[in-house]
Amino acid sequence: MNRMTRTLAALGLALATVGSARAADTVKVGLMAPITGPWASEGQEMKRNVELLAAEQNAKGGLLGKQVEVIVEDDGGDPRTASLAAQRLTTKGVVAVIGTYGSAVTEASQAIFDEADIVQVANGSTAVRLTEKGLKHFFRTCPRDDEQGRVAAAVIQKAGAKRIALLHDNSAYSKGLADEIHAILKAAKANVVFFDALTPKEQDYSTILTKLKTAGPDIVFFTGYYPEAGLLLKQKRQMGWKVPFVGGDAINNPDLVKIAGKEAAAGFRFLSPPVPKDLDTPEAKAYVAAYQKKFGEAPSSIYGVLAGDGFRVVAKAIEGGGSATAPAIRTYLTTQLKDFPGFTGKISFNGKGDRVGELYRVYQVDAAGGFVLQP
Amino acid sequence: MEELVQQLVNGLAVGSIYALIALGYTMVYGVLRLINFAHGDLFTYGAYLGLTLLGSFALQDRLGLAAGLLVLAVMVMGLVAVLGALLERAAYRPLRSSPRLSAVVSALGASIFLQNALMLIYGARYQVYPDILPQTSVEILGLEIPVLRLAVFGVSITMMAVLFLFVQKTRVGTAIRAAAIDQDAARLMGIDVNRVVLLVFVIGPALGGAAGLLVGLYYGQISFTMGWVYGMKAFTAAILGGIGNIPGAMVGGLLLGVVEALGAAYLSHSWKDGIAFFVLILVLIVRPSGLLGERVAEKV
Amino acid sequence: MSRRLAIGYLAVAALLAASPLVLDAYFLDVLNNVGLYVLLALSLNVILGDAGLFNMGQAAFYAVGAYTGAILSTRFQVPILLALPVAGLVAAAFAALVARPVVHLRGDYLLIVTIGVGEIVRILLVNDPWGLTGGANGIFGIARPTLFGWRIRRPHEFLYLIWGFVALTVFLFHRLEQSRFGRALAYLREDAVAAEGSGVNTARYRLLAFALGAGWAGMAGTLYAAKMTIISPESFSFWESVLVFLMVILGGAGSIPGVVVGAALVVVLPELFRGLASARMLVFGLLMMVMMVVRPQGLLPVRARRFRAAASPAPRAGAAEGGP
Repeated sequence: MNRMTRTLAALGLALATVGSARAADTVKVGLMAPITGPWASEGQEMKRNVELLAAEQNAKGGLLGKQVEVIVEDDGGDPRTASLAAQRLTTKGVVAVIGTYGSAVTEASQAIFDEADIVQVANGSTAVRLTEKGLKHFFRTCPRDDEQGRVAAAVIQKAGAKRIALLHDNSAYSKGLADEIHAILKAAKANVVFFDALTPKEQDYSTILTKLKTAGPDIVFFTGYYPEAGLLLKQKRQMGWKVPFVGGDAINNPDLVKIAGKEAAAGFRFLSPPVPKDLDTPEAKAYVAAYQKKFGEAPSSIYGVLAGDGFRVVAKAIEGGGSATAPAIRTYLTTQLKDFPGFTGKISFNGKGDRVGELYRVYQVDAAGGFVLQP
Repeated sequence: MEELVQQLVNGLAVGSIYALIALGYTMVYGVLRLINFAHGDLFTYGAYLGLTLLGSFALQDRLGLAAGLLVLAVMVMGLVAVLGALLERAAYRPLRSSPRLSAVVSALGASIFLQNALMLIYGARYQVYPDILPQTSVEILGLEIPVLRLAVFGVSITMMAVLFLFVQKTRVGTAIRAAAIDQDAARLMGIDVNRVVLLVFVIGPALGGAAGLLVGLYYGQISFTMGWVYGMKAFTAAILGGIGNIPGAMVGGLLLGVVEALGAAYLSHSWKDGIAFFVLILVLIVRPSGLLGERVAEKV
Repeated sequence: MSRRLAIGYLAVAALLAASPLVLDAYFLDVLNNVGLYVLLALSLNVILGDAGLFNMGQAAFYAVGAYTGAILSTRFQVPILLALPVAGLVAAAFAALVARPVVHLRGDYLLIVTIGVGEIVRILLVNDPWGLTGGANGIFGIARPTLFGWRIRRPHEFLYLIWGFVALTVFLFHRLEQSRFGRALAYLREDAVAAEGSGVNTARYRLLAFALGAGWAGMAGTLYAAKMTIISPESFSFWESVLVFLMVILGGAGSIPGVVVGAALVVVLPELFRGLASARMLVFGLLMMVMMVVRPQGLLPVRARRFRAAASPAPRAGAAEGGP
């Protein structure tokens, strides 16, 4: 009977720790981010950006006369945890949620926010299908994979490549991007000689490199993440193979050079939205300086800044529309927000909730291991 | 043709690492009939400890490259060996007479514990070894092979050969083999089985740790989860060669590496990991005692 | 089932039925997660606890069921509740097929094979054969279950559906324990050689145990798919299999209430300790090692059945020297 009582007590405890304190009179904005888990570094930057901006907003008097409160929930970079985190946010009275990073993770939360009539502005979820479902409350400040696909195909064709190899890692993002590029290249009747995936989290890529080399491409586009890219570059150099590699935006991480070694990484090009230090508007520079002052280092991830821009458009919608309710925010974002001066560039949303405009640029790694923006 | 040979070389190189790790699994299983799930994590510890020692002591600068690496290897192997002995004491000895399921769960728990301890100490991001080794390559049979790759292969084979001789020719080695065949009979012969077990948990992890160091030095990048994949493949290699059988583990490792490389090269690369597991299941169904025959305590 | 156990179950049922009145959507969703894991743990209990077969690949059957339900729902517009038993059958058939060549293997080897099967299924799902599984993206747009025209989508509605199914499962599995099938499984778990000698076809019963456990996990998978509306291979990793395995072992292999409690704790505890996210896993591992030394039989282990012997007559003097 002990055990049974214990179980009942546990359940009773769960029932007892109910309910969230409904703080009166603040405007609540939620942030769903991977604070822990594989993308913890992104999540923590997102949190810093949004909290800094909220503090700045509050210093200016808040929104509609009320203070802004940011409620952060950890989605752990995993769809199941994300759905729980989303449920939690819906019980806390938020009018909008910024987040999150990782298309599959965002997807797990979309339906929940939509059904609860909460506006969601994602900052790091580029899968095309997220805005193809007709969800009225979903927006994103980040670009879509098809835009990156277009830019990638253009870069490949501009390089005059006759034989093209596409390499991905079978993850949702990476394969999606590779598929986009493949489709565009096929439509342009380009010669794609290789399309296959490597296994992430391994170390020895000599097999796939040998296979690639045998196919004889004159350019290889890799759509995977930076750890694998670093190893590929390093091992390709060990093999003495000189064909140029180009990467997608998941490669954008300073550790790339550390893993590959400076000599192997020099000359490597990749696509990315501009990194925070390259943002060129005066407001962006001022913001980066403010961030540096508060946290002791400049923001390193563009997705954190995109989260910040997400917060700013929501704030603008609340002020501009005069109301802190989801339908009002939604209406404002779709009809009245035009060319908002975001840190990452001008922001407007189309009917599907996608950000209008081109964000992707080409970067090249120089001999010292720095990332240089190409014109 | 050139691709085939190149892929063979690739396979052998990776396979030699699998073989080194497999030795640890096979020895423990032979004597205790226990799958040491935490062995892959000991391999990872080898890689991380190597990184830390390399950073703190900069032996390669003080003693010159060759001597520095040797001392580094000895230190790493020693530390991981101690870790292996501790593991045995903490997780397995109390369960020596318990049903096997308990030992399996405990092994899993130890693996989770070790992996997360590593993550807490070093952080979740990838770590990178400093670039201290020369990146030259030689031409053999028309292929360009990095010297380092040959070195890794050579070192692995040498260590395996030493182990083999140790087990075959020395008294202690014979004691290990005896305990693997029949623990009780060995005890009756005056062999201290507890010491044999300790020895097995010292040698196996030492080799695993050495493999970790080699991997760190060669590939440069290590992560705290790398033990899982390598561990599974190494265990597959041990079963392929015949569990409990030391030459079997070596053969199994090399063979698995080659099968994987060729399979990935000529079928789709996406299925590479699936090949290893498939081989495992196939071997267990068709020839569970492995290629060279198993040597375990109590055959049923 | 003893009277005390029945009262315990009824009390829990009452609490659960009343919970939507007190708890908000988040906590109800946690309960839903617990419910799904309880189903999984009960399904594994048939294989691991009742039949004594080491299976660390339960996530594979979960996945087969979930994907079958998802494919039926998204491509063929089959209503979820109709797809449920179909998914269960598919998972059961898959298990029977896969287990057939390996069911005679020694304990540890079977363990490794099931791990291998789990990984192969996951790799299969990621590689999207014949465009069926959607690869790493998974499948989205899975329909919600409808019951007589009423669409089940809010957490409290799912609560009743999932825990109703759990109640049914608990009831059925208790009956199973007492049945011929259950007794045969217990026999072959304790001593396979003796069982075979007594005429119990061990291979057949083992296969049936696998099929039943897998089929139930498959049905749980469809429920999961309907609740999340999207599924992807990440939810069916080796770690999931380990979790379910632990729920059974830590709760008490072979004991239905033990397994239920085990599942609840393994799910709820990490949620409570969210703050210590990283150290959480460390403690988990340590817990596993300690539990095996301190209480290997689990929290609520199976109670050996006791039979009351008939009152025996007082021993006669000299009875020790038996007669003819």
